[in-house]
Amino acid sequence: MATKRKAAKRPAAARKAKRPATRSIRQATSLATSSRQDVASRLSALAEMPMTGEDDAHLRAVLAVVVNTSEPIAVRLAALQTLQTASFSSAAFPAFRGDYIAALRTLTQDPDPELRQRVLGFLAREKDGFAQKKLLEGLRDPAKALVPPEKALQLLSYDVHAEAYPIARAIVSKPPNPTARREALRLLAADAKAAPMFERLLRDKDETREIRQISAAALQATKPDTLQKHAREILLDPSEQDEIQATCLTALTQFGNTEAVAGDTTLMKRIERLRGKASSNVKRSARQFLTKYGR
Amino acid sequence: MGDSTTAGAPSEQQLAALVDTLAADPDRRHELMDLLREDHAFYDQRSTTAISRMRGWILLALARFGLPETALVFVLEELSTGVDAYLVAAAARALRSHPAPAAAFAPFVMRALTNVRNRDEPVSFDSYGDYAARDTGTSAVRELLATLAWLGPHAAGVLSEVEALRTLRGGLFSRTLRLDVDRAVAAIRDADRASVPAADSCCGVSDNIGTSSWVRDSRRDSRSIEQAVFEDHAGAAVSFQEFFRGHASIVVFFYTRCDNPLKCSLTITKLARVQKLLATRGLDDRVHTAAITYDPGFDLPERLRRYGQDRGVRLDAGHRMLRTTDGLEALRRHFNLGVNFIESLVNRHRIEAYILDAEGRVARSFERIAWDEQQLVDHAVQVMNEERDATAAHAPKSGCCHRAVSSAGR
Repeated sequence: MATKRKAAKRPAAARKAKRPATRSIRQATSLATSSRQDVASRLSALAEMPMTGEDDAHLRAVLAVVVNTSEPIAVRLAALQTLQTASFSSAAFPAFRGDYIAALRTLTQDPDPELRQRVLGFLAREKDGFAQKKLLEGLRDPAKALVPPEKALQLLSYDVHAEAYPIARAIVSKPPNPTARREALRLLAADAKAAPMFERLLRDKDETREIRQISAAALQATKPDTLQKHAREILLDPSEQDEIQATCLTALTQFGNTEAVAGDTTLMKRIERLRGKASSNVKRSARQFLTKYGR
Repeated sequence: MGDSTTAGAPSEQQLAALVDTLAADPDRRHELMDLLREDHAFYDQRSTTAISRMRGWILLALARFGLPETALVFVLEELSTGVDAYLVAAAARALRSHPAPAAAFAPFVMRALTNVRNRDEPVSFDSYGDYAARDTGTSAVRELLATLAWLGPHAAGVLSEVEALRTLRGGLFSRTLRLDVDRAVAAIRDADRASVPAADSCCGVSDNIGTSSWVRDSRRDSRSIEQAVFEDHAGAAVSFQEFFRGHASIVVFFYTRCDNPLKCSLTITKLARVQKLLATRGLDDRVHTAAITYDPGFDLPERLRRYGQDRGVRLDAGHRMLRTTDGLEALRRHFNLGVNFIESLVNRHRIEAYILDAEGRVARSFERIAWDEQQLVDHAVQVMNEERDATAAHAPKSGCCHRAVSSAGR
């Protein structure tokens, strides 16, 4: 009986769950773009908008909601998300792309900071020259900034060919806040010329764990031999931070020069000691290292 | 728009003003071509997007008074491998200012349509550095379709491809663009224009555009670069002299962080095909191949090895991926590399491949326009034969230089 009842209930539940998916594009667009509908219904219609069809009329209607500053911000943000989803899942999008990019550029001046930030994020991922210019202008002149400096640096890092290294270096020297400094260092991590700075930061015990780990990753990308040398010295130093030693162990395990490391008896002995007496994080990394080297 | 300025360097606005001055002066217009060279100081320490703005403005200036023959290779290069909507749109517009349409232009325009149609966007040519924040009435695709219409019957060779654009699934083109496609198709089919004389027979695109060759005695010697030191994909050190002397070599340039799939990634993939062709002809031991990175600070041996292997490149003692550890400037000078940098990063480069003779001298160069693998191997064989003939004759030929086509980019 119980099985029967369950079986009887299942189709009803399934019908309920499927209801939004069976809504046509036209119905969903009509609901999502109507200011007479309540916000919750509109958000639901936007989240479940079908991406089928080759006519871009529904995309244009949704874009009209995004650019309309008198619409509730929650609806505008959801509409923007719907268009972003459409950018990689809708067959109708290519015909609409040009108007979308143009509208996004206008929206970089929107009064809502979250919408502005998301729009700049989408444009930055497209390596859009307009967005890059605005972000750089804001970093050079905070009065023109559209987003906080740390966010601008993060967005500029999507394009390695952006003109961001000089400004990132300036921010490292004179950071407006610690987060901006961290993001500037992340951005510089792919710059081979920044390796000496990262060597210094990696060895500076007064730096935060995060900054030192960014430095290790930067050296791994541009000067792996240099990282290996520092990693060895850090592991041999009993006064070093646990997390940094764990990072160095991982680097040596994954990327170390197998021959050089295997022949380094001082290092091997030290890591065997770490396997026995260290924090759990370091012990785990030491075990992985020693397993690789057959100890 | 604001200006992106690097300390001490001329600003973008200054470049724009210079371009306008040169374009307005018939006696100085030829200087615009010099500004298109990638290694020009104006491009030093600029972002890639800034360089797009700058080069686009130069192409538009050329379009104002008619595209000179010497600038054609730059326009065709952009159509062939460009992925920036603004630059491609400017190149399409510049091509329409060429004195006469030619059938040979049509495949370039069609290729550009394929390359940018999924990244199209409105563009503005109103003022320097302007980005469209609304429908401006034009875009890269619209400019390309207008160029096909300008070509008219000379684009008959690509008519079926243009017609196919109308039936592409997936709403690729908006209603406006579909009308532009219809207009291009009608122009191509226009029987009245079919009789209009064209450049096809006299001054169209030479098969050798972008290719240069030097006879043996006119080649620049390699003394200045012989001591340059490279590290290969396996971490082994080798000097220019050790690797490039004693046999012909095929050399291509690339860098692993290049984000244009039509440039470096394709170049290395094609190098793998060149190696197979050499092997098929039993020449793989007699012709060395090298892929040299523009970005030696980042392209470490492991990165080089993986990049090559992922693209099917054969890697051994005679076929290497290289980075300079000492002598990047000498390398730039020896090859006249078409590249510039922002800090240690490449910000713009052309496609370039070279054939070196047994003395490490540049015997052939293939620049800007994508080279054909078979053509490269054939030229390498020619260079080898020249060496053999010269050795047999024990007498050098008379020393004059000929270049197959304009070498404005060098």
